[in-house]
Amino acid sequence: MVDHPPLNKISRRTALALPLGLAALSGTIFSNGFAKADEPVRGGTMVMIVQPEPSTLAHYAVTAGNIPPIATQIYEGLVTYDWDQNPQPNLATSWETAPDGKSITFKLREGVVFHNGKRFTSADVQFSVMEILKKYHPFAPLLLAELTGVDTPDEMTAVLRLANPAPYLMKGLAGRDLPIMCKSVFEGTQILQNASANKPIGTGPFKFGQWDRGQFVRLDRNDKYWKPGLPYLDHIIARFIPDAATRSAALETGEAHFAGYSAVNYADLARMKTNPILDTTMKGYEMTPALSVLELNAKHPPLDKKEVRQAIAYAIDRKVILRDVMYGYGKPATGPLSSLFKTVGFYTDDVRKYDVPDRLDIANKLLDGAGLPRGANGMRFGMHLEVNSFGEQWLRQAEYLKQALAIVGIDLTLRSEDTATWLRRVYTDYDYDINEPFLSQGVDPVYGLNKQYLTSQIRKGVTFVNDSFYANPEFDGILNEAMREQDHDKRAVLYKKAQQILAEDCPLVWLIDVQYVSVFNRKLRDHTTGPLGTQQAFERAWLET
Amino acid sequence: MWQGFARFARNRMALFGAAVLLCLLLLVVLTPVIYPDDPFKLAGPALQPPGGSFLLGTDTLGRDVAAEIAYGARTSLIVGVGATLAAIVIGAVAGGVAGYYRGMTETVLMRITEFFQTIPAFIFALLIVAILSPSVSSEIIAIAAVSWPSIARLVRGEFVSLGGREFVQACAGLGASDARIIFNHMLPNCASSIIAVGSLLIGTAILLEAGLAFLGLGDPNVMSWGLIISAGRAVLRSAWWICTFPGVAILLTVLGINLIGDGLNEALNPRLRER
Repeated sequence: MVDHPPLNKISRRTALALPLGLAALSGTIFSNGFAKADEPVRGGTMVMIVQPEPSTLAHYAVTAGNIPPIATQIYEGLVTYDWDQNPQPNLATSWETAPDGKSITFKLREGVVFHNGKRFTSADVQFSVMEILKKYHPFAPLLLAELTGVDTPDEMTAVLRLANPAPYLMKGLAGRDLPIMCKSVFEGTQILQNASANKPIGTGPFKFGQWDRGQFVRLDRNDKYWKPGLPYLDHIIARFIPDAATRSAALETGEAHFAGYSAVNYADLARMKTNPILDTTMKGYEMTPALSVLELNAKHPPLDKKEVRQAIAYAIDRKVILRDVMYGYGKPATGPLSSLFKTVGFYTDDVRKYDVPDRLDIANKLLDGAGLPRGANGMRFGMHLEVNSFGEQWLRQAEYLKQALAIVGIDLTLRSEDTATWLRRVYTDYDYDINEPFLSQGVDPVYGLNKQYLTSQIRKGVTFVNDSFYANPEFDGILNEAMREQDHDKRAVLYKKAQQILAEDCPLVWLIDVQYVSVFNRKLRDHTTGPLGTQQAFERAWLET
Repeated sequence: MWQGFARFARNRMALFGAAVLLCLLLLVVLTPVIYPDDPFKLAGPALQPPGGSFLLGTDTLGRDVAAEIAYGARTSLIVGVGATLAAIVIGAVAGGVAGYYRGMTETVLMRITEFFQTIPAFIFALLIVAILSPSVSSEIIAIAAVSWPSIARLVRGEFVSLGGREFVQACAGLGASDARIIFNHMLPNCASSIIAVGSLLIGTAILLEAGLAFLGLGDPNVMSWGLIISAGRAVLRSAWWICTFPGVAILLTVLGINLIGDGLNEALNPRLRER
């Protein structure tokens, strides 16, 4: 922690800013200052906490939640999204889907240049999508499955050709999911070994400056950004602080301005809310739905019986998990889709409800009915629960689950192993009864539902796919139809049906609809400007002086 | 030996240690009576401060901290005593054989012992538990595996010094078997040193166990002091009691055991008798 001049400079500057600001306050500012306080100010350095430090900045080849907060400042997408999740012009100025849904034509923005000075054209779109993302992006087998090619009739027009209609594609065109790279940087090189992997070159409001491993990434203002007058900030520093208590302290002392994605311990949030220089927001995660769930291995009796799986779903009091494990952030999950999909009309809670007042009676009846009477010790049968190794909140949840299931006579034994062993046991060896993962659902039901429940997604050795052996041809048919249906309302009807079938068959137990939280310094303004929150550019963020 | 215990009883610090250990044993014996329920049971509202309906308050899930500590004491003692006994058996055999036969046997056994001593104990224990998957028995194995070298070196040293003594040579001269000489004559003669060092090992083993559980490598189905502290760490600034009381329990137990160990050492070690 000795030799990083940029950081020293910053803390000194922030330390100076406070007394100066107070001096100004005592003077004239009360007369007309506050009206002006909402006018953005140019300059300043924003410090954001990113946790944990990314292992790479190769945003086009690796999906990890800690990469986009940095990478989306540099790489932009064809569109951005407004608060209603409608696409808005960005690198593309307009777009049109063909009547048969098998092609989307994008008109591109003139006058955009990459950080290396190269002009942005349709060739960059074609190369990024076909040669980089389609080949190397982990989501490509889903997001770009129908994509057959990109035509470039002229320099400012790109046409995405599709084998079948892919209406979900319009939700995944932001910089987070479909970043646009510079063709001349990658052409003729090994994509994954490209020099720009950790020195990204894009069109975004900030340029890559420096990465001091273990300390920070510095991003510098792109003076040639295509949005006139933007960005307001001179620099963004992404700091990496492994210790949770130190992260909280950095925010509380004003050393850091922003921490997204629950980089702050939920347990500390109550205290931070009473800090006058800090505020919190739950906005900016509308397109980042996630559920915590229990996966039930249907190959392990008696979990092959629907009644037993339903009884487990009834036996759990989600409010206790929400209150005591998640510190109140989130809501009880009602079914297989996050309630965030309500905005776009795909979510329904008109399904079998497990959070009902007489749930314990129902659970006991179901287990009795399944031919599993209580033995001498009050237990019906024993099962192992694999404890999620991504943090200790999951051990707390496991401890609660053991208590909750004991009430209905299911004797859980907890098994905690290191991450590699745990993932191999669950997704490769299938040597588990109950697993407690955390599932990101992506921007469209296609991502969350298809990979988790389709029969074709029972893929030995692939993590976070269908490992509960759910196989329902009727359900598969509905999902495949919904994937290609272009009419939004018809899709909504199909997904409603899909959710009802899943809730009834209960291949998984859905626990908590997760809510992330951002903590920010009140001096930092306009930081969360859309539903992608920390995973989109901070070009309009500015610091009060 | 009995004179030794009389000398032990005159040592006030050692008596204090013995009193602490007695209280702990009493707690372990009475736990099923005082707290008949599972210590993992959600007993009441979460994060109740101590002094209300729960003597030592409740933790983040609403479990009774007092009950958790009582059950944790049992785990600590089982692991502490179990690991120490295992370490003594392995160490005494390795050290005894090396010290009795000398020569090549000694060289090989002592190099193995030193090899184990060069690996940082806690990290080695972490590795063993991670490989065996966390449970009480794997904790005992791991802690025994990192504790036996000190016993082995001690026993070897004692055997080397005993080996030239007349009573040992007399036994050999009378045709006693090696096993008889080792177990009936030599081991009893270094029992006092083993007891003194072994009692100190129990304290170390309890600390190691708490450390393993704190890092999430304890048996998740068994309550332990380290587990309570690791669960309460996140709320340390708002609910001090969750970490504090098990911390105090660890402190008192390890202190008590170390005082007993020191007392035994002074009482049984002839070189320290005159003090």
